[in-house]
Amino acid sequence: MLGNRPFELKTVRHYLAPGLMMLVAVSLIPLAHPALSLLCFLAGSVSFLTIRWLHAEIRKALDQKCVLDAQLIQSQKLASIGELSSGIAHEINNPLAIIGQEVEWIRHVAKEIEAGSGLTIADMQDSVQEITRQVERCRDITHKLLDFARKKEPLIQAVDLNKLIEDMVRLVEREAKQHGIAIERHYGQNVPPVRTDGPLVRQVVLNILNNATYAIQKEGVITVTTKESEDGSADIVISDTGSGIPKEDLNKIFDPFFTTKPPGKGTGLGLSICHGIISRLGGTIAVESEVGRGTMFSIRLPGAKT
Amino acid sequence: MEDFRVLVVDDELDFLETIVKRFKRRKIRADGVSSGREALALLEQEHFDVVILDVRMPGMDGIETLKEIKRKRPLMEVILLTGHASVESGMQGMQLGAFDYVMKPAEFEELLEKVQQAYERKSLHEEKIRESKIIV
Amino acid sequence: MSELKPRVLIVDDEERFRMTLSKLLKVKGLDVKALGSAREALEELTDARYDVILLDVKMPEMDGVQALAEIKKRDPQLEVIMLTGHASVDVAVEIMRLGGYEYLLKPCPIEDLMDKIDAAFERKKAREERRKRVGGQAAEGGR
Repeated sequence: MLGNRPFELKTVRHYLAPGLMMLVAVSLIPLAHPALSLLCFLAGSVSFLTIRWLHAEIRKALDQKCVLDAQLIQSQKLASIGELSSGIAHEINNPLAIIGQEVEWIRHVAKEIEAGSGLTIADMQDSVQEITRQVERCRDITHKLLDFARKKEPLIQAVDLNKLIEDMVRLVEREAKQHGIAIERHYGQNVPPVRTDGPLVRQVVLNILNNATYAIQKEGVITVTTKESEDGSADIVISDTGSGIPKEDLNKIFDPFFTTKPPGKGTGLGLSICHGIISRLGGTIAVESEVGRGTMFSIRLPGAKT
Repeated sequence: MEDFRVLVVDDELDFLETIVKRFKRRKIRADGVSSGREALALLEQEHFDVVILDVRMPGMDGIETLKEIKRKRPLMEVILLTGHASVESGMQGMQLGAFDYVMKPAEFEELLEKVQQAYERKSLHEEKIRESKIIV
Repeated sequence: MSELKPRVLIVDDEERFRMTLSKLLKVKGLDVKALGSAREALEELTDARYDVILLDVKMPEMDGVQALAEIKKRDPQLEVIMLTGHASVDVAVEIMRLGGYEYLLKPCPIEDLMDKIDAAFERKKAREERRKRVGGQAAEGGR
């Protein structure tokens, strides 16, 4: 965007030199006729001045465009910061509200104890435990946010994608089986070798597998497919026969703090972290879903040769 | 043989002994301890490259130990060992920066391969840091 | 005596929040019931009478703003206090438009909430009183 500017100015300069040359040429040819010569000179001067004026106008317009672009980027940035802050506020304010109430309850119990109403310290225990739980919930959110912000730089190693995925599948399989969920594998034999950050990819695959079991709840199938894409990238496709995602939620699914899980059960950061990881690894992640039929996540990672 | 040191942490002593023995047979320097606390104490005093850590241990469990290790030695690569870990703890482990998971009973060859990959990653990481220091 | 005690319905998907809040309000002498979803609340409102509803804005399935619209459609006299974890201008405007009585940002001190409930209850009583009078006159005039 900014890179275009000098190029376009240069183009204008390209016209400046021929313009001058034409002016000289045109003024030389009709030397024999002084009146005509004067006319030509005047015409040439006018065209020269016009070009200069155009040049200045274009420069002004380009400068303005730069300012506008910068403003646009800034406002987009502010909008996403706004969205993020309101998400954080909401996620933190809810546990804070619970903590506040528990403190209130403890105060009430303390007063009752003082008044000798038969309540005891034991009646506070539950509230104290709840406060501890809610503090942990807040800590979980802030820690994940920090992870999100830290953006660890990936460390690139040769990775056997099929093996990596199988390891994560096995980790999930035991619990899945207990809920009547079967995992089908379709590992492509010609999946291209990949150079990527193994632990980060594991984190993503595990997260999506876990979401899939959550979406199914009971009785269903998770299908894990790996294959080579047309352009030599490696494709990982994880689909489930779970509840599916409503259309209106589908474009929010990678937004930070978006969750359909009950309060305290999910921070809504999992998929946005996955999205961040895959982008940083130069890949893409996409989702397709139909309510009642299931959801399919497709991850594409660049092959070692591409 | 590459010169790196492995620390194995598991409260199942039979497993611990066998695995340490098998590393040593391949001329890989390996030590074993049976609790998270001992592991942290040893890491304070001696240099290791890769830690193999059982998730389920009495007292300080694997996840807690992993947290502490990563806090004190961010570059240490940790492979988690698990009999039947919950998916929840698996996700927690990966988020905390574990290199990989190995299901028990682990095939030694598989474990060895992962240890080597983990060591390669640690070396890469250290190299990157050295390079950035040179540039600075 | 029961006339002086507002009947309050708490609707919030966060279980611990609604349970402790109802304990606290009961201790303050209010008549309280707590439910976990807008759907349950609408069901409850078809055959039970309440004075003030405490309604969480962000809930799965039917959210608080949708629920507010439905409640106000059925009974415009009902007082609703919206509770939310984050203030958003859009939501606030929507609530005003729908005639929500109050808008409270979580976390808030229990005293503030009590004040709002009292005020809402007073307002409802005054409105009912006025309507009774006006309704009575209209009935007389009509005959």
